Amino acid sequence: MKKMMLSLVAVAAMTASLSATDYRAEKPDAWTAKDVPSAIKALYGEITPAEGDIKLKAPKVASNGGAIPVSVKTDIPAKSIAIFQDANPEATVIVFTVPEGTKADFSLKIKMKKSGSITAVVEGKDGKFYETKLSLEVALGGCEG
Amino acid sequence: MKKLMLALASIALIATAVNAEEVKAPATEVAAPATAGEATKVKMKIKAKEKDGLVKAKVAISHDMLTYDQAKKKGKEANFITHITATVGDKVVYDASTSQFLSKNPLIKFQFAGKKGDELKITYTQLKGETFFATKKIK
Repeated sequence: MKKMMLSLVAVAAMTASLSATDYRAEKPDAWTAKDVPSAIKALYGEITPAEGDIKLKAPKVASNGGAIPVSVKTDIPAKSIAIFQDANPEATVIVFTVPEGTKADFSLKIKMKKSGSITAVVEGKDGKFYETKLSLEVALGGCEG
Repeated sequence: MKKLMLALASIALIATAVNAEEVKAPATEVAAPATAGEATKVKMKIKAKEKDGLVKAKVAISHDMLTYDQAKKKGKEANFITHITATVGDKVVYDASTSQFLSKNPLIKFQFAGKKGDELKITYTQLKGETFFATKKIK
């Protein structure tokens, strides 16, 4: 019995640190999809996201397309949040897993080649999906290095 | 007491694993290299401050984040971060699968329940699979 408990603990310990989900390994097509709808489908399947209370922020005009500050925040109990844009060769930017005990409140800086729109999709713990979109202008394209 | 804690923890963790989708299995394989101790320690600018049980973290990782397009122009190989995880002990507090579209020297911010003195560990994986990490005590 003790041995089984120990091995269970070992497995559990492994599982704990891996409650991380590697979306790049799990959903490879999501990372090569060129447009936002295809990327959403590759990542989450055929979903009909509802308008949700998601605070997606980015500057209206980004002076440096190579470092655009974006923040996404929501009180919807979320399992994962994905951010897409339609200005780059591929649509998916990042997919967050929202671990237990953390707030769905993330900030990051992204690159956009030109003006376009950013879409955030929230996978709710209730199994439903929510989305919000934001348009922005990019003064200087961000993939020139 | 410790055994009881471990037992409870393992039950809770197994419950989590059971409730998760089948995607858990592949995740195990992918993360294995990191836990096998192949991660290289690097310097990262990490700020982690706790207030009222909530830790606000800000991390700046030095990385060229070379996109395929940029790499082609420079005659180099594309190389960018594909995964960033933050952990406190065994607990994952931030987890993101990323693309070539994060900025050069990515700056990320996130929040989680935690306490001063705990150690925050940031681990990232890049395109070819190499992993790097840095740690900082929460203030």
